[in-house]
Amino acid sequence: MAQQRQFNPYSNNGGTILAIAGSTFSVIAGDTRQTEGYNIQTRYAPKVFRLTDKAVLATNGFAADGNQFVKKVRQRLEWYRHAHSKEMPIRAIARLIQTMLYGRRFFPYYVYNILGGIEEDGSGAVYSFDPVGSYERETCRAAGAAQSLVQPFLDNQIYFKNQTPPPGQSFPAHLPLPTVLELVIDSFTSATERHIEVGDGLEMYIVLARDSGLQGLDGFQGVTEMGATPEGEKLFVLRRNLKRD
Amino acid sequence: MFLTRSEYDRGVNTFSPEGRLFQVEYAMEAIKLGSTTVGIRTPHGVVLAVEKRVHSPLLESSSIEKIMEIDAHLGCAMSGLTADARTIIDHARVTAQNHSFTYDEKIKVDSVAQAVCDLALRFGESVHDEEAMMSRPFGVALLIAGIDELGPQLYHTDPSGTSTRYDAKAIGSGSEAAQSELQDKWHQSMTLQEAQILTLRVLKQVMEEKLDQHNVQVAQVTTEKGFEILDETSLKNVIELM
Repeated sequence: MAQQRQFNPYSNNGGTILAIAGSTFSVIAGDTRQTEGYNIQTRYAPKVFRLTDKAVLATNGFAADGNQFVKKVRQRLEWYRHAHSKEMPIRAIARLIQTMLYGRRFFPYYVYNILGGIEEDGSGAVYSFDPVGSYERETCRAAGAAQSLVQPFLDNQIYFKNQTPPPGQSFPAHLPLPTVLELVIDSFTSATERHIEVGDGLEMYIVLARDSGLQGLDGFQGVTEMGATPEGEKLFVLRRNLKRD
Repeated sequence: MFLTRSEYDRGVNTFSPEGRLFQVEYAMEAIKLGSTTVGIRTPHGVVLAVEKRVHSPLLESSSIEKIMEIDAHLGCAMSGLTADARTIIDHARVTAQNHSFTYDEKIKVDSVAQAVCDLALRFGESVHDEEAMMSRPFGVALLIAGIDELGPQLYHTDPSGTSTRYDAKAIGSGSEAAQSELQDKWHQSMTLQEAQILTLRVLKQVMEEKLDQHNVQVAQVTTEKGFEILDETSLKNVIELM
């Protein structure tokens, strides 16, 4: 038989990302384990990146593509800042990411992106993308290795799917920040239990809208402020350990 | 000044020993021959008005087009070699469309003015062996009116590639008289109608013919309706109010 040769440019590095939008905040989270097959390449490879002080991007899939893509997005944000003398609004970042991803329609970045932050009107926003740029704004989204474990949980706990409200009552459209953070932590501890590619560390970025106070974030241990916009949006990071087995 | 021609008149991109680009300076002179164009910014919107020179009674005055739309929230008026403006406005339109395509937001007035200026200085540029795409500077100046997140704004761009923001600006043959009139009459809290009337009054003063709805063109950019060129009836109404 003739020799077969193949060009295999992609790899899958596991891990899971997740973002949830509140009415005046946004949480973007990801685990820090990077795998290839049954091997752990590193226990700390960030998948969640600060873009501006009110926009955070989480990438999942092929780590090299993800890192390169974040680099490119950041470069475009800087160019935009110089050309238009303002920070790019999150809605514009979402559209930019679409054009950048679709620009690689025939040699795509093998990455699922979730963008979180605060919209111009002060509301919390989450945008999710497929690798070629199809995108939509949502309240919550999980992606990556444990998407199939986490998303149904979120559908139930955030969107209240398959639940009926008590007579005369209705479910809230948005949950408070402490509730959301507990849901995120629970999602990742559960995913760590049931998925071999998830674990080691959890990084949660929290963006708070202007004039919205700390929203109960002060009740959490180890919160670090990462930045703030002149208009008053604040960016924090919260880290937790996950099981390493 | 222009009688003392020198070898520095030849190359479009050659500085004279005094540090001047003659072809650019001549292009600026072309604007002073153009019809008078006025723009006024108010808190409610921006008004543009131009004089249309109707040389002959057989000329269809509606075919003279000196105010054009760049985008739904942007318009511009021109003075000078108006044919040159087509190239510029085409560039501005493409820039504005590309911006909303890529960023899902309206382009800022400042950014469009800057894009126009980037093009203004591309004359004489050529890739090795090929002819330069533009052989000379544009002979036209623009008043760019628009509304963005910073509110109503009016920009002036000229062949030297400079863009400047104004509260009120006149360009073209009658610009000196018109500008001093604007300086007297413009105030911070003008209504849109006051601005419409002022543009026409200023034009009337510098025009040779009697001003009517056929020999002027007025356009405005407002938050509610964006860019619009006033039709003959609304233009007539403003003229009656003068």
